[in-house]
Amino acid sequence: MKADSNRLLLSGNHAVSHAVKLVKPNVMPVYPITPQTPILELITEFHAAGEMTGEIMTMESEHSAMAAAITASLTGVRVFTATASQGLLLMHEMLHYAAGARAPIVMFNVNRTLGSPWGFWPDQTDSLAQRDTGWIQYYCENGQESHDTTLQAFRVAEQILLPTMVIHEAFYVSHSMEAVEIATQDQVDAYLPEFNPPHRLDPQIGESWGNTVSQIMFQNHRRDMGDAMERVLDVAKKADQELEELVGRGYGIHEQYRCEGAEFIIVTMGSMTGTARDAVDELRSEGLPVGLLKIKLFRPFPVADVREILSGIPKLMVLDRNYAPGTGGILYQELKAALYGLEGAPEIHGYLAGVGGTNISPANIKEMVHSAMGEKPVAHSVWKG
Amino acid sequence: MLQFIIQGRGGQGAQLAGKLMADMFFQEGKNVLVYATYGGARRGTPVSSSLRVDDKPIRMRCDIEHPDVIVCFDPSLLEGGALLKGATAQTIVLINTSHPAEEFAHLGDFKVVTIDAMTVAKKYQLGRIVNTTLVGAALGLIGYANVELLEMVVAETSPVKSENNVAACMDGYRIASEGSC
Repeated sequence: MKADSNRLLLSGNHAVSHAVKLVKPNVMPVYPITPQTPILELITEFHAAGEMTGEIMTMESEHSAMAAAITASLTGVRVFTATASQGLLLMHEMLHYAAGARAPIVMFNVNRTLGSPWGFWPDQTDSLAQRDTGWIQYYCENGQESHDTTLQAFRVAEQILLPTMVIHEAFYVSHSMEAVEIATQDQVDAYLPEFNPPHRLDPQIGESWGNTVSQIMFQNHRRDMGDAMERVLDVAKKADQELEELVGRGYGIHEQYRCEGAEFIIVTMGSMTGTARDAVDELRSEGLPVGLLKIKLFRPFPVADVREILSGIPKLMVLDRNYAPGTGGILYQELKAALYGLEGAPEIHGYLAGVGGTNISPANIKEMVHSAMGEKPVAHSVWKG
Repeated sequence: MLQFIIQGRGGQGAQLAGKLMADMFFQEGKNVLVYATYGGARRGTPVSSSLRVDDKPIRMRCDIEHPDVIVCFDPSLLEGGALLKGATAQTIVLINTSHPAEEFAHLGDFKVVTIDAMTVAKKYQLGRIVNTTLVGAALGLIGYANVELLEMVVAETSPVKSENNVAACMDGYRIASEGSC
């Protein structure tokens, strides 16, 4: 590795660890699980070497890790943890609690297939199944984006007071090594203000959290959470722009790739996006008017933006590396709902592509585009790959 | 784009071989993407490292379909044909074995090359660790020229016996470059 540069050869997971080191969390409750463990391993190495000073708590389960993260966060300090797959599912109860408690925890999740049967493959069902928990969710396509988005997540979570999950996929991102430009400490210090929430559990102030509430208090609390989610869209865009001004890398909360004059748009999230970029380039060179829409911020779902971008586009093809038995691809459902009633709404082909980590190449995506172009879509997800 | 698949069994150092080559190409200023796949990191199960090297940024996140080079740590990994699935007539298939390449002609129309990396490893007291020898041989076969950088990266990457690993790697490189595989 070149010591004179911030450009390192890193796995996607280690790119995340470097970001966490720069944001200096005060508390990190941890529990290992493949393929997330390297994130926490490198953090504990930084800690052992004296390069990080926060408190690392080794817990007995993911449920306990999240419980510790919530209580630590409510004392008004910066908290990070990471998990994957079954570990995320074991946290499920606590994920709702974290959002309701408005605890701005940042958690990294590495997408991995859910048992049973057992596997270690990239599949986004684990985190997408948490879409109703009240967490902000970002999906990343490579280690660089995971590094930068982790920085953004702290900014957004702490400003909005909602927990934030940053996500990339097993192996194709988590264990892939590539060049990653690490932000400098000065850049991150300039970017991320000190976390100093107005309300916190502190014996000097005398506040509490967790009272039993009336029906209307509960409803109003949920409405407040909804209002906070609405604000995320602008706050996240600004957080992205301001990081770009400092480090020269920006992503938006979604990205249109070669959509100028497009009559057919592929919609992706996560690592499939990179593969689809290659497919789009090849299709464009064949003279086909094909573009790509990458959804990066999935919660809150950018409904108004998506309606504006996709209005008047004749056809969409959604690629879902996830599966909800009984309904199909989750991104497909979300897009259909977002576009309902839109004048000039596109026809939507929903394809289950890469479920369980099955391999999807640029050639596979091109084939899907060619077949979708000549077909009427059906009203449900179709298995591909 | 140059694409390698390096396959060994858990504990043999196939994953490290991929990382080592990635680091070397990275230090040369190339874009690299390397990842390992395994069905649970257990000793003895097949472990594959997939490495892409290119002048342009590498965006695709999928398996290597048609590798330029396949490095096979052990002929038993060839059983079933999965490792050679995407190989073409242009693919170099480097096999660690004491048997001659002709014995593998039945596998298909590939550029099969064999090297007795175990003997090289033993010569340098490396026991059964053949990864550095095979890396040297693979790079020799593709005509890789920056030997100084290769030596440096092997020395930096070797967890133990760094000089022995460099020597084994250079033996592998020479054997392959001279066409003596």
